Amino acid sequence: MSHEEKLKNYRTAPFDARFPNTNQTRNCYQNYLDYHRCNKALTAKDKDPAPCEWYHRVYKSLCPIAWVQKWDDQLEAGTFPGKI
Amino acid sequence: MAHQAHAYHMVDPSPWPLTGAVAALLLTSGTAIWMHFNSMSLMSLGMILLLLTIYQWWRDIIREGTFQGHHTPPVQKGLRYGMILFITSEVFFFLGFFWAFYHSSLAPTPELGGCWPPTGITTLDPFEVPLLNTAVLLASGVTVTWAHHSIMEGQRKQAIQSLTLTILLGFYFTFLQGMEYYEAPFTIADGVYGSTFFVATGFHGLHVIIGSSFLAVCLLRQVQFHFTSKHHFGFEAAAWYWHFVDVVWLFLYISIYWWGS
Repeated sequence: MSHEEKLKNYRTAPFDARFPNTNQTRNCYQNYLDYHRCNKALTAKDKDPAPCEWYHRVYKSLCPIAWVQKWDDQLEAGTFPGKI
Repeated sequence: MAHQAHAYHMVDPSPWPLTGAVAALLLTSGTAIWMHFNSMSLMSLGMILLLLTIYQWWRDIIREGTFQGHHTPPVQKGLRYGMILFITSEVFFFLGFFWAFYHSSLAPTPELGGCWPPTGITTLDPFEVPLLNTAVLLASGVTVTWAHHSIMEGQRKQAIQSLTLTILLGFYFTFLQGMEYYEAPFTIADGVYGSTFFVATGFHGLHVIIGSSFLAVCLLRQVQFHFTSKHHFGFEAAAWYWHFVDVVWLFLYISIYWWGS
């Protein structure tokens, strides 16, 4: 399935076997990290960052809005503690 | 004249358990008052009372055992059980702090950057002073064993020398750790890393000081001929405690200093 098709069929975040338990914090955080890492890696190689949109959709589905806002503010201020 | 028809020690009435309990109450409430109302009076009073209790209670036990002969074999067996149970309770005390450390470090939260050590923490190099500290404590375990054998073999001078060396090594550890605390690039207020590091190593350091004091009292007693080659339980208790302190350090070193870096 191409990523355009995947995104067209997207309804919500699918089951991810890496995070099987009720506490989905890490699922949200990992996808947030992966989106920004994917963007950084692809734009560094002058490639189209379209595949990264999947991670964007997943973390938007899973994460509390307040967390995303806090992390976005931290990224802007340069104080985000995760490794991008 | 009536004599006891058993080998156990029926202790004479003593005020020290009461003064100890009062000291504990003053220390705990005093610390709370100090933290909220900026007054050290109650806490200081509790500390003084505690020190007086410690000195006099243990002085009385030495009088009863060494000078009055009350520490018969079954009595000594009871004292052994007591020390072992006490050390076991201390093991559980430290277990709690190790639990706290592993809880936070095995699954580091996003606030920490999802990694351990957390983002922004520069850890101490485990192969510098911490490794020296490990060598110092291991060496002190050897010297305390040497002291024990010297006592058992009736070698007075060697017992005094090896016991002194053990205490000096203990002081050296405390000095080195004090320097590390002063120079460390992080404080107790630096997130959960700082909290787990300083609470665990801090309580360990306190136990090193307690253990060194215990050994120092044994040195004083050895110089004053209290110990015989067959009967020296006070020393054995101090040595057990000292080995326990050494083992706790080994776990701290492997977990926090090495794996946790």
